[in-house]
Amino acid sequence: MSLPPDYSNEITALNREILKAKPSDVLQFCANFFLRRLESQRAEFLLSQQHSSHKGGGMAESTFPGSNPFGTSPSAGSANSGMHRVEEEEENDTIASPTQATFAQSDMEKPAPQQQGDSTFGNFAFGSASSKSSRAMPPSAPSAMDHQSFPSNYNMNRRTSVSAESLNPATSANDNWTPPYHQKSADQQNRLKAAVAGNFLFSHLDDEQSAQVLGALQEKPIPTKGIKVIQQGDVGDYFYVVENGNFDIYINKSGKLEAGPDGLGAKVGSVGPGGSFGELALMYNAPRAATIVSSEQSTLWALDRVTFRRILMDSAFQRRRMYEGFLEEVPLLSSLTPYERSKIADALETKKYPSGTTIIKEGDVGESFYILESGSAEVYKRGVDKPVNRYKKGDYFGELALLNDAPRAASVVSTSEVKVATLGKNGFQRLLGPVEGIMRRNDPSKAGGDGDSVDPLAKGA
Amino acid sequence: MAAAVRNTVSSVLHHHHSSGNREDSPHANQPPDSNSTDSPAMERARDDEKQRLAHWEDHKSPLSPDQIADGGDERVVGHSSRVLRQDDFELIKTLGTGTFARVWLVRLNSSQPEDQNKVFALKILRKVDVIRLKQVEHVRNERNVLAVVAGHPFITTMVASFQDHDSLYMLLDYCPGGEVFSYLRRARRFNEPTSQFYAAEIVLILEFLHEKEGVAYRDLKPENILIDAEGHLKLVDFGFAKKVENRETYTLCGTPEYLAPEVIRNTGHGTAVDWWAFGILVYEFLVGQPPFWDQNPMKIYEQPRPLSLRHVPEARDLISGLCTVDTSKRLGNIKGGATAVKSHAWFRDIDWDAMYKRKTHGPIVPHLRGPADTRNFDEYEPESAEREAYGGEMREKWDEYFRDF
Repeated sequence: MSLPPDYSNEITALNREILKAKPSDVLQFCANFFLRRLESQRAEFLLSQQHSSHKGGGMAESTFPGSNPFGTSPSAGSANSGMHRVEEEEENDTIASPTQATFAQSDMEKPAPQQQGDSTFGNFAFGSASSKSSRAMPPSAPSAMDHQSFPSNYNMNRRTSVSAESLNPATSANDNWTPPYHQKSADQQNRLKAAVAGNFLFSHLDDEQSAQVLGALQEKPIPTKGIKVIQQGDVGDYFYVVENGNFDIYINKSGKLEAGPDGLGAKVGSVGPGGSFGELALMYNAPRAATIVSSEQSTLWALDRVTFRRILMDSAFQRRRMYEGFLEEVPLLSSLTPYERSKIADALETKKYPSGTTIIKEGDVGESFYILESGSAEVYKRGVDKPVNRYKKGDYFGELALLNDAPRAASVVSTSEVKVATLGKNGFQRLLGPVEGIMRRNDPSKAGGDGDSVDPLAKGA
Repeated sequence: MAAAVRNTVSSVLHHHHSSGNREDSPHANQPPDSNSTDSPAMERARDDEKQRLAHWEDHKSPLSPDQIADGGDERVVGHSSRVLRQDDFELIKTLGTGTFARVWLVRLNSSQPEDQNKVFALKILRKVDVIRLKQVEHVRNERNVLAVVAGHPFITTMVASFQDHDSLYMLLDYCPGGEVFSYLRRARRFNEPTSQFYAAEIVLILEFLHEKEGVAYRDLKPENILIDAEGHLKLVDFGFAKKVENRETYTLCGTPEYLAPEVIRNTGHGTAVDWWAFGILVYEFLVGQPPFWDQNPMKIYEQPRPLSLRHVPEARDLISGLCTVDTSKRLGNIKGGATAVKSHAWFRDIDWDAMYKRKTHGPIVPHLRGPADTRNFDEYEPESAEREAYGGEMREKWDEYFRDF
């Protein structure tokens, strides 16, 4: 019985190394030699496999999975089979870099893991981990991972970038754009409100945005059954809410609507009054995940992405510019750079108070600074029975709280419903550091550079 | 917009003025699609240009972030060439594809025998597709950002850009190691030292982009990070990069798993989105997949934030600081900027200066047979032969948008 040629090659190489190095600790030398060989062979293998295993695979395609607002996905089958394998691997997996000695043990056992060539995971060697290889592996330390909750059905393919239309608020201000408005009855308005209430994309809207979005929804009568409102695979531009009628949902496993009697694919559900579909289209340009067909005469409300995003953008843009404008008026903050002002504007938090609310109270420790965004308020001082001042939109108060912990010098009470933009001292310091440092920029005695500078560093210059 | 374009027209490689003065260039008025009946002067200019391209790396020494930001004479790269054409390059193999672009490994067609082994990555964009997919603005941003950041040790170098009548070209340095994505998926996850090393190089990239250039990158993910011959990272694909400076921007773009909350809500976003994505990236390095995922993309955006970090105990504090919904509390965006990230305990073993100067090899050094080895890249379908023509009204309407390319 002859020795395997690979073994003979390794021994020959080792003999050469021994002759050359003449080591004193022969055993250690051999151990090091084999460890080095093992690492380099695994790294080689890793790369060669990577080189050879991607012929025509899904890697190069844009295979962003699902995009399916209805829960079931055309790729669910293959993802499940992948999940099983990944979980198995989890058992004996230690965190490893490809050049480490613990890496790719299982790949060594099975140098051609091509059995799952048609699955979404077919391009990845890690899928080949099996019980056989785990037995062959030396027992590794148990992983600290929480297996129960570890999300293991992740799609391992390259992820496609997404984008929406370029939106530019500067031009929209010039256009004097106002969102489209479509009259609705109070009943319709309430039904729509309820229909989108649970929808994530609508949950962050303020009252004004919400009113604009609901106003922009446009009625779309569907005169008869059998009309395909959206087609799987098409580019999506509209989101729909069902006013009345009913629609069936079909998914073709190929990922798009095909010609022929079975082109729709399988029916996976239906949607009736108060339901909605196509919401991903409000975010970016993505292929439709399903085909929606009317099953009777129906009515829809439709909203397109550009309108939706422009409503959100315009109100955010206006609010930021308004805040920046207000901030410019605050002497304490006059030395902020435009960049810093924009950061503070971004951090301002909007709060609403009903009429008669004491927003700050004389004697309290001040923590936040306020700008009156809308409404009006009055200023009171102890011992004076009339208001000492009145605040209107754009006025600010409590700014000394950014500077020190001195008690509030007066109370401010709202005289109408008010909206304020507010920022705490902590928030300010987190972004820009202590406000004293910012004020100092304006103070010539601290700036340094001229004759009576107090800055010791400036003297040497 | 055109006025904001910097450094775009000089074709004199070694004299790269930030003024962008067209008169600098003897060939500035040459139409980009001049045909093969070139004048001898034109031919000479092309030959000169190709010789400079062949040797662009000879002058390469790591520039400091300030030198790059100055955009001064130290740089020999990043210009818009009026003389180069596609047939100055031999297309060897596709390295990657996108919806409107394809990146090729190319070899320089040079009359100098010693320069014929010079390889580059050439990104080719069809004007028709760019217009059809409404990506004109993004492509212009990409070219302009790449031009001003050229020279950074961890960002792909745009050696030159040029165009012909129907395509736009970006000539980039070839990064033979392939995508970090491939290594990560193959390794399942990176160990902590590897993750720290890569994360540190990304921090240096973001620090530079944000604080020196005012640029938000907006598409950070392992697919967009390549490994070079020495195992260092190169950030590629600046399709969504934008000079934002102190103004917020609104166009939704990125990759679903990496989108910051403020991008999803359309409340205006800036460079802080990259710090969010960086947190997701570190998580994905350590865990093997990003924290938010669902077959249905809408569900990704609905997932509760802050995220659970039980899988990444070592980097928990760093990631939770980065992946903070409130941008006024997000690490990287708060006081100190990138410096605050660099001084985080998770990076305590990093020597940032040595890192920037590439003093050590990366944790994975690719095995290469030569400078043109493509074994680390996947195979891609050949380009479809049918192609929509670019011309007529479309050209009249859009060509001025590409003028500075």
